[in-house]
Amino acid sequence: MSIMTYNGGSIVAMTGKNCVAIACDKRFGIQGTALADNFQRIFQVGPHMFVGLPGLGTDTQTVYQKIRFRQNLYELKENRKMSPKVLLSMISNMLYERRFGPYFVEPMVVGLDPETAQPIVGNMDLIGCVNIPSDFVVGGPSSDQLYGMCETLWEPNLEPDDLFETIAQALVNACERNAVSGWGAVVHIIEQDKVTVRHVKTRMD
Amino acid sequence: MALVTKQILDTPIQHHFSPYSDNGGTTVAVAGPDYAIIASDTRLSAGYSIYTREQSKLFTLSETTVLGSSGCWCDILSLTRIIEARMQMYLHEHNKVMSTTSLAKMISIMMYGKRFFPYYTSTIIAGLDPEGKGCVYSYDPIGHTERANFRAGGSSGALLQALLDNQLGFKNQENVDKTPVSLEKAITVVKDAFTAAAERDIYTGDGVHLCAITKDGIKEFNFELRKD
Amino acid sequence: MFLTRSEYDRGVNTFSPEGRLFQVEYAIEAIKLGSTAIGISTSEGVVLAAEKRITSVLMEPSSIKKIVEIDKHIGCAASGLIADSRILTDRARVECANHWFTYDEKMDIESVAQAVSNLAIQFGDSDEESAMSRPFGVAMLFAGMDSKGPQLFHLDPSGTYTQFDAKAIGSGSEGAQQSLQEVYHDSMTLKEAINHVLTILKQVMEEKLNSTNVELCTVSPDKMYHLYSKEELEAELAKVSSIHDPSRPDVAVIGEP
Repeated sequence: MSIMTYNGGSIVAMTGKNCVAIACDKRFGIQGTALADNFQRIFQVGPHMFVGLPGLGTDTQTVYQKIRFRQNLYELKENRKMSPKVLLSMISNMLYERRFGPYFVEPMVVGLDPETAQPIVGNMDLIGCVNIPSDFVVGGPSSDQLYGMCETLWEPNLEPDDLFETIAQALVNACERNAVSGWGAVVHIIEQDKVTVRHVKTRMD
Repeated sequence: MALVTKQILDTPIQHHFSPYSDNGGTTVAVAGPDYAIIASDTRLSAGYSIYTREQSKLFTLSETTVLGSSGCWCDILSLTRIIEARMQMYLHEHNKVMSTTSLAKMISIMMYGKRFFPYYTSTIIAGLDPEGKGCVYSYDPIGHTERANFRAGGSSGALLQALLDNQLGFKNQENVDKTPVSLEKAITVVKDAFTAAAERDIYTGDGVHLCAITKDGIKEFNFELRKD
Repeated sequence: MFLTRSEYDRGVNTFSPEGRLFQVEYAIEAIKLGSTAIGISTSEGVVLAAEKRITSVLMEPSSIKKIVEIDKHIGCAASGLIADSRILTDRARVECANHWFTYDEKMDIESVAQAVSNLAIQFGDSDEESAMSRPFGVAMLFAGMDSKGPQLFHLDPSGTYTQFDAKAIGSGSEGAQQSLQEVYHDSMTLKEAINHVLTILKQVMEEKLNSTNVELCTVSPDKMYHLYSKEELEAELAKVSSIHDPSRPDVAVIGEP
């Protein structure tokens, strides 16, 4: 089994109309054995910005701390908030420093641009190759299932409520067909004036 | 120099032969109360090259049964030919056409018979059972089989099964009418599923061949998919 | 009969110049010495009844089995060399089990008869490819329910199998077949058929009919193969004796001229 799927946990992010969403399951396990149903893989790193870190649990936490460290330095030095695209570049460079001994995470960034309020979703591979599509990004062991769900369910310009329904359905149904994902889910909807966090009940097997 | 040459000549060289190839392809089947549909894409490929854009992976075995299979194309051809021969033998021995349920069991046994040199296929059969109800059976390469209401198999099986759970099985949906979908609705969902698969899976695309099986016979449909 | 013995008797698969296989013909003669068995197929199911010859009071009657189960949906009555019938019923059981295993369905009665017939004609002198050195000296009735409904098939030592509405085999078969022809009609119920087989058996048997010297089974959609217990059999026999002609207390009315 790949080290990327050792602990399980899948993440999906989508753009909507003046909003973005990011959702992940809450399972943490060691291969087939589930250990926790409250594992955090999505972190708020700004008023309108979140990172998702699917992959090896320990690297999720380490990379998050390194992101915060570098982001804080940036924001203090520059005296301004980081934009999602800058954060993506920064994480990308950070991962490439470990080109030959990588962190086993495929980071994902979602947010609204501080200047233009444009919805951004982006992700990268474990050595920092960035991808910023206009629709959605997926990560973790349920990637295949999430691609199938998102390709059919997603449509442009979803309002926040519809975006929640779409991303929640995509995640929950995808995780039900993956043995190392599930055990509850959490969805973040990021709008200009508010961020909504909703915990979704799922089957616990 | 001569010594080096001799050493190379003396060293045993290991040659490999792989009896399998993965020719990709996706199959989706749905069973309804009085119908069954099965569809496959029409791309046949190996690695990054496409052999053909118009090879259906469906095999009509009888008036009530259609088989769809993807994976190693030569194994699919071999398997389906032997199935056809066995059905002919059954017809002559028992004076009747093999039912979908009997066929389902026989295929399982044929595949398990090659447990240690399997047919490298992801196989699904769809048809009407002896009561006239729609039925779908899916197989792994060594003959594990299961009757289901809908199934996706092949290179996009993982992408589409979750989608079918949601759209046809109404999984995780509340306040909706959960009666089985009509034939027309099922065809629409299958089309959407293939369109999604063709977006992300390089082994799926070009076109879809679909068979709808009802008591009135088998109707065939074709539609296009992206070709890149 | 035995005066016509010739060198063509030696090889079991040697045709005589007249085109006859004597050993097969003798085997067909042999089954006419067997105890009588009768079957009737009705729209409600099939019934089989067989006579058991209890030749000694010291014999344990329950150890003689003339009617056996092939599968849940098939029963079989045999007449002739019962040892031979064991080989054939064993094959029938194996074929049924294999068919269910491979096709997840009950085997048709005709297919069972065909499968057993395949074994029945595998006799010969050579060591290879023959299951038996001589023809099987047994006649069989296969009764069952399948996709085509209630079915009754007869198999003889030549391997020929034929479907019948009603058929008798064994020593009393000639008279019994005659009686069957007189009483049989399409709309016969299973109850009537049970009465008929017992009544006819009673006519052709030398012994007096009782619950130890007869076996009875039905194959019907609800119960499938069902072999009558001693108690059930006694109840059926009581019905048969109740329709006796009072002037001829040991002979039943039905089937009589």
